[in-house]
Amino acid sequence: MVAGIALSPQARSRAAPGDERRRKLLARAGWSLSAPALIVVAAVTIFPIIFSVILSFTNVNVTGSGFSIGAMTGENYAEIFHASVWRYALVFTVVYTVVTVVIEVVLGTLLALVAARLTKGRGYFMALLLLPWSMITVISAELWGYIYQGTYGVADAIFQAVGLGHPLFLGTPTPAIISMMVADIWKTTPFVGIIVLAGLVMLPQDVFEAAQIDGASGWTTFWQITFPLLRPTLAIATLFRILQAFGLFDLPFVLTGGGPGTSTTSLALLGYKVMFEDVAFGPGAAIATTTTALVLAGCLLFLRVFRAQVGAAKEA
Amino acid sequence: MDKTRRGSWRGSEQPWVRAGSRRAVGVARARRRRAVAVGVVLAGSMALLAACGSSSSTSATSSNSTSLNLADAHGTITWWASPIAQVGIRAALIRAFEKAYPKIHVNLTSAPTNTDTNRADLVNTISGGSSTPDVFMGDVIWPAEFGAHGFALPLSNYLAKSYWAKFAPGLVEGATYKGKVYGSPLFEDEGFLYYRKDLLLKYHLPVPKTWEQLRSEAVTLVHDGAVHYGFVWEGNSYEGLTCDFMEYLASAGGSVVNSSYTKATIDSPAALRALTFMRSLITSGASPAAVTTLEEPQAMAVFDAGQAAFLRNWDYAWANSQTPSDSKVVGKVGVAPLPTFQGRSYPGYSNIGGWNLYINPHSKNLAADLVFIKWMSSTTAQDILGKTYSEIPTVESVRLALAKDPSIAPPIKVAAETRLVPRPAGTPNYPQVSSAIYTNVNAALAGQMSPSAALKAAASQINSALAGAI
Repeated sequence: MVAGIALSPQARSRAAPGDERRRKLLARAGWSLSAPALIVVAAVTIFPIIFSVILSFTNVNVTGSGFSIGAMTGENYAEIFHASVWRYALVFTVVYTVVTVVIEVVLGTLLALVAARLTKGRGYFMALLLLPWSMITVISAELWGYIYQGTYGVADAIFQAVGLGHPLFLGTPTPAIISMMVADIWKTTPFVGIIVLAGLVMLPQDVFEAAQIDGASGWTTFWQITFPLLRPTLAIATLFRILQAFGLFDLPFVLTGGGPGTSTTSLALLGYKVMFEDVAFGPGAAIATTTTALVLAGCLLFLRVFRAQVGAAKEA
Repeated sequence: MDKTRRGSWRGSEQPWVRAGSRRAVGVARARRRRAVAVGVVLAGSMALLAACGSSSSTSATSSNSTSLNLADAHGTITWWASPIAQVGIRAALIRAFEKAYPKIHVNLTSAPTNTDTNRADLVNTISGGSSTPDVFMGDVIWPAEFGAHGFALPLSNYLAKSYWAKFAPGLVEGATYKGKVYGSPLFEDEGFLYYRKDLLLKYHLPVPKTWEQLRSEAVTLVHDGAVHYGFVWEGNSYEGLTCDFMEYLASAGGSVVNSSYTKATIDSPAALRALTFMRSLITSGASPAAVTTLEEPQAMAVFDAGQAAFLRNWDYAWANSQTPSDSKVVGKVGVAPLPTFQGRSYPGYSNIGGWNLYINPHSKNLAADLVFIKWMSSTTAQDILGKTYSEIPTVESVRLALAKDPSIAPPIKVAAETRLVPRPAGTPNYPQVSSAIYTNVNAALAGQMSPSAALKAAASQINSALAGAI
């Protein structure tokens, strides 16, 4: 808590009073020097969040000369809870998050395992893999849009050449959702891969040598040794991906515009549509607030489960 | 946790700090300070909020119309406009304007081609108080929404009645909301049937006058291998689908809402006939299944590449299909009014589109904006739109003169024969009404809902939209 010198608790309780005063002075100096930056950060992050929450509890009238905020009311929340499009967006976003994160973690771990084996080409391998990740989502979504296009798209031509007919990738809900998942997984698996790779190369090698001497198969080695040791890294990667996937916006916005009907409308996209296309700032803020609350709840739950798992592993 | 017992640390969060010790007091003081800091931040946010909550911002609406000196207008203004036909119309208009008014310079900001995205961007910009763009080219269905929220200046406050009298009938009405006119009509637009006259000639097929005839001709041409796709149109889940649907709906004799905008009338036998027919275009093979993902640019691209026999598109498609750099079908295209349903009178209905010019209420150069808008309705500008680029002019005198011109582009000539149907845009909740139409029609076209279920869903969603739900 005290900025400046980080002393151990024992050292702190043994310190002389003069040191205490100096530490306080240094701390105050530290706070006042970083105050301008902290104020900017607060203005850009905390203020909009609180503003959003307050907007969601009032009747907002948007006009060309600004907002006029009315009385406090829970109407916006009632409105969104009753809207079937919101309920669908919620289910869709959760399912989408779960499916893509699971697939990405699996594929990313596989990629990392392969990359860890490489000695010479690892750098090139990872650089190539990171190309999708480095592309701006809007651009990659636009390009995937061209690939999936029903009349002049590459995917359509390939499927036709192979004899699989004319699957309409973005025209019906389920293919649209799957196509979007493919575009997302293609883009973000390298991200998971690189995090897991970083974790893998830091694992102590002696455990693996011992396993090899004992004659453990690759499968056993992975599940009994690598995976438990990798748990913290996997948790970080999964947490990052859950946060990103829940805020899914640019991919459906560019690729499907919310999908055939509303089938690929995620919560973030729905919030945008309600706020800016229907100019209903109250319900839009309510959607944003509930999404944030849900993501927070999801992450806390995930961390609790993960901690319990690590605890269980320690006792085992 | 008992803090008063000296020397006891059991149950405390920081067991190394003895309760009551100087360290404990320091920790408690630090915790209080943290709480105070958080409180200050929250209070600060509330204060800022209160300041923002009261609507206070400068706007140009405070200026009196008589105090504007249009003769002395000068400066730089920004014009926000989406590409009209992708053939350089906006640049040509700006060049001509700057020649006429050398003291005013116009910067063009290119807007998105998707009209929903265009509108959302503008709502975002204007409600945020931005003073640019000064003038924006907006869709004809925006006056109700923009007028209700104050996103556009009521031009009727600044331009005399004589100004509005020169436009073709119905256009100024469409730009009016609650007695004030918000947009100055720039060019009008409607749906046309574009066809490959070379293919119709080769296969001895007449220009279809009914939808059923078009469907069978399209199927014939596809089966005979003349083209890849028979009939392409805009079926994606967006505003453009509402336009296409209105055409089939009106031709079948149906409507979306009653005239007072209180009830949805879309769940009717006429609408069912229209929607079932649209679905049959796909199931019969006349239109590709991919039509449910096509918007104007994609449908245009397919037709330009020579891969479709029929296209439903706006009047820009003529200029676009006759530009050699874009199109492979130069000289092979014919234009006709849209067909109607069997048993009903020809021609079918075309949806009214078109674009108006609106002024941003926060614009800082109102005089120059008004000069720009007035020039855009002058004969010079309307002639550029009509003669050079075959966009349908909005000024009645220019329209009549062009209709007599034998060399005028087909869409303008055909426009004299078409019948028009507007979209139900007289309510500020039109975006939700339109969304109810296009999401359900798209679902029916994609085969996920039966047409009757789609119309029922649309009716119930339109009724809640009219009542103001999201």
